[in-house]
This record gives sequence, structure tokens and C-alpha cells, in this order.
Amino acid sequence: MTAPMINLRQVSKSYDRGGETLKVLQALDFEVASGSFEALMGPSGSGKSTLLNLIAGLDRPTAGTIEVAGTRIDTLGEGALAKWRANTLGFIFQAYNLIPVLTAVENVELPLLLAPVASRERRRRAETALRVVGLEDRSLHYPRQLSGGQEQRVAIARAIVNDPTLLVADEPTGDLDRASADDVLRLLETLNKELKKTIIMVTHDPVAAERATVVRRLDKGSLA
Amino acid sequence: MIPVRYNVRSLAVRKTTTIATAAGIGLVVFVLASSLMLAAGVRKTLGLSGRRDVALVMRKGSDAELGSSIEDPQVGLLGSLSGVRRGPRGALVSGEVIVVAAMEKLGASGVSNVQLRGMTEQSHELRPQFKLVSGRLPRAGADEVLVGQRLRGRFRGLDLDGSFDLRKNRPVKVVGFFSDGGSSYESEVWVDLDVLRTSYRREGFVSSVRVQLESEGKFDGFQALVERDKRLGLQAMREATYFEKQSEGTSLFITVMGSVVSVFFALGAMIGAMITMYAAVASRQREIGTLRALGFSRSAVLGSFLLESVLLATAGGVMGAAASVAMGTVHFSMINYASWSEVVFRFEPTAAILGQSVGFAAVMGLVGGLLPAVRAARIAPAVAMRG
Repeated sequence: MTAPMINLRQVSKSYDRGGETLKVLQALDFEVASGSFEALMGPSGSGKSTLLNLIAGLDRPTAGTIEVAGTRIDTLGEGALAKWRANTLGFIFQAYNLIPVLTAVENVELPLLLAPVASRERRRRAETALRVVGLEDRSLHYPRQLSGGQEQRVAIARAIVNDPTLLVADEPTGDLDRASADDVLRLLETLNKELKKTIIMVTHDPVAAERATVVRRLDKGSLA
Repeated sequence: MIPVRYNVRSLAVRKTTTIATAAGIGLVVFVLASSLMLAAGVRKTLGLSGRRDVALVMRKGSDAELGSSIEDPQVGLLGSLSGVRRGPRGALVSGEVIVVAAMEKLGASGVSNVQLRGMTEQSHELRPQFKLVSGRLPRAGADEVLVGQRLRGRFRGLDLDGSFDLRKNRPVKVVGFFSDGGSSYESEVWVDLDVLRTSYRREGFVSSVRVQLESEGKFDGFQALVERDKRLGLQAMREATYFEKQSEGTSLFITVMGSVVSVFFALGAMIGAMITMYAAVASRQREIGTLRALGFSRSAVLGSFLLESVLLATAGGVMGAAASVAMGTVHFSMINYASWSEVVFRFEPTAAILGQSVGFAAVMGLVGGLLPAVRAARIAPAVAMRG
């Protein structure tokens, strides 16, 4: 059996809110197999975003160990963690989070600026990624010139351009109409099946969750 | 590294704030560059007036020609010393009288002092840059004067064929204008020595003596000869040194005044830049969080926002410096405190001054942008996830 892509052991996370301790996750064990497409569901405040942030190395656990793609990330320093994110992860955000002053292709190129890639090669790879999401003819458009669905597809191109092992998606269809949401979900499916990307997706949308191979439910900081 | 175009375009998107902030910084640079240009203009004008191979002899203890007086026989004696160049008419020595006359200003109310210089035939030979630009030379002994071109149109009577009273009921006529390579002589009125002496009852005395030396290197020997004889009570200095000393105080005053004013302005402009950058950081929190999530380090974000601030300030600096170049066409008259008379200066734009001023703007951007950039670098990558 291969090692899991994500392996959380006894992970707790609590926040200090005005002198009160808010326990979000408690002694959670969580595994995601390599190559799977998992949806994480649960009501607001169930801790799913916190869990995603911990997996993505955007936040640190109060207790427990987190291993992602073979690296113990809960012990990494700030700089090493940033480097790890750049090399290992692709992010897909609910609000797309494209940089408004950069064109589609420049947005897609961003992660490659952190790797030793020559500018011509960078442009070539970014254009390839845009072709994968079907937006090669929009490469010189600015985000404001794109529809929501197109923006999210550019964001997906940005997430895959550096060939990451794990894609982390936070409500990727939350801001989209049904048709655009379906496009995006189909794209994620293709990335999972054909490019063998492991995907973990937080969602409220049962239609979106249906596309995943595994659906997990989180409630009050524990897996249901 | 976060690409520079990200910063440039972010500045371009916020056009109004960017232009307003840059204009504030531009204004500071304009003030700084203009004052440095004026100080350079003073140094240049007075610096051009003096030569290293001409000795200026004055009464011992005099700081300026105006307060010095030398008896006529001593002028002849100075011409006989060794090291003095001789021409067809004998030693190249010129005893000159300096007086200051209050004249009525044109285009402004009140009067101002103008320096009048009583000249000999030798005087022009000691000033090789002298050129008649219009009219003619005065006739020897006539009540006629030559006027430096910078005074043209600034005082009543100082026009070609105009006249003014040298002394009450002693009118003189302007017969020509001259240039002298941009030196302070261009702010003087030149009168025949005897005419001036009789009008001002200065017969038998001159203010100072200019002595053309055989070469620059002869100065030390000449100075030793002049100053060794205590009975003469005279001192000699290079003409260039004399004018350098005159320019020192004035140019230092302008530089210090300009710098002090600029520093106070700069504090205001830096606070402006800081507020602009804080606003930029606040409105781009999610962008910054996203960049951090993608793997850009804190220092990359810090550097990017510092760069943005420096770009903003430098753009303002370039605008201010460009505007200050236009001051190069402006003439500015002020009292030279060494001679108590008005000298007309030009703003003197130099590459070094423009470079320094734009550099000053960049430093303002760096200092003003530091705290906002630190705040940007502290934004947590998890901010990217918030909807």
C-alpha cells in the first residue's frame, strides 16, 4: 500500500478569541490517499476551512502532526513552508483570487516565478496550462474582461502550471452559475483522472461533491 | 520575485492617488533642485568672474573691494614688481574704483544697489571674456557708461541711450551693453575711472588693483613681495579666490535654506506616500495573501511594496526635476552680501543636481514605504482563503 498523500494524526486546532479558547478541530485523524479526489463537506463553522488551511500549510495546528506529500509540514519554518507550498500545491479559491492587474497568462505564470524557469519557457508552460483549461484564446485578457467561470478556469491553470502533487480547492464553484460550475467540476475530474492529481475540495454544493470519489463530512471539528 | 509590472500596473490602476502622491513628492524635489540650482548658479556666476592668473590687491584687512582703498602711487609701484605681465602700454595693472549706487527698479517698487566700477583702458585687457553686445564703447573721459547685460531692463535708465544721475545733476548716458561669459561683472555698470572719481570725490584713490601675472605660478612670489612690505599695508589674493570667497556665504545660505525647507516638505510628502501605500496594502490584502499562499516569501512581498513606493516617489521626483529644469531660463536677482549690491544669477541645472534630487525622492519613497511594506509582509497567507 502506498503512503497516503495527506496524513493528519491527532490534530487539534484552537483559536484564542478574546480570552476564550475556541476549539475548532479536536484530535483529528485524517488520511487522503494519493490520486483520490475528495470532497469535504459540513455546515459552516464545522472546521472544514481550518482543516484545508492546515493541509495547505497556511496555518499551523495547536497539536498533532501533519504530513503532506511525504513532508512533515507542521514543523517547517515560515520560509521553508512557503517554498514547500510553491513546489507541492496548487490552489483554487472560491473568489478565484486572480491578480487584477495581470493578464490571464501573467497570472498563470506567477507560480513559475518561484522556480528557476527561463521567461520563454515560463510563457510556453503558462500557455499550455491555459490550453488545458480551454482558454488559450483569452491569454492576454485581464480578469475583469473574463466571466466568473473563465476566471476560475484561469485560476485552475495557475494551480496546475507548476505540476503540483496536490490541488487544494476551497469552494471552487461557490461563486459560479450552474453551467460554469459544471465546466469547472469536469475540469477537476479530468485533472484527477488523466493527470492523476490528488484533489481535496471543500464545498457546500452536493452536486459538486458528487463528482468526488470520496465525500467526507465534518461536524463540530470531527469527522462524521 | 514578484514581477515589477505588478507594481507598475497597480500604481496605474489607482491613477488619482498615484498622481496626487507623486505630485507632492515632485513639489519637494522641485524646491530642492531649484535651490541647489540657484546655489550652483551663484557659484558659477561668481566663479566665472575670477581668474587664477590675476592678482587682486586690496587694503589689508578688507574683505571686499568696496571697503578697500589704495593710493595712486601704490598702483604704479605694484606694476613695477616682478612677475607682472607687460604689454605694449606697460605693466598690465588696473586700479579700479568701486561704488554702490541706489537705483530705481523697474517692474518692482523701491530701489536697489547697483555696483559701479571705474575702469581704465587696461581694465578690458584683464577680462578676456569681455564682449560688447550692443552699442559702442564709451569715449575716454566722457560721461558715458557701459552696462552689464544682466542689468538690462531691470533699472530705470539702464537702456541703450538711456541716462541716469551718477551723482545729483551729473547724468551719464548708456552707450552700450557688454557680456563677460556669464560672470558677476555682467551685473555691474562700468564708468570711466576719472568720471567716477570726480563724481564721488575719490580722486587720488582706487578701491582695488588688478594685476595680470605672467602665469598662474607667479602668484606666490608676487603675493610675498606685496605683503612683505608692511608700509604698503596691502594684501594680494588670486582674483578667483576672492570671488570663491564671495560665493561661499551666499551659496551656502541658499543651499542650507533650500535643504531645510525641502526636509520639512519632505516629511509631509513622506507621510503622504505612507498613507497612499497603507491604503494600497489595505485594499490588496487578498492579493497579498494569494501571493503568499502561492509561495512568495515575506521578503518578496516586502521588497515588492518597497519597490512600488520607490517607483511612485521616483516618478514624482522625475516630474519635479523636469519642472525645475524650466527654472534654468529664469534670472534671479539678489543682494550679494559681500558687495551689498544686486547681482543677477541664473538657476544652473546640472546632471548631478538632477540626479541628487531624484535620488532624494527615491529615498523618500523608501522611508515612506517602509512601514506599509512591513505590514504587507505580515499579512498571513490564510487571508487568501477568506471570501
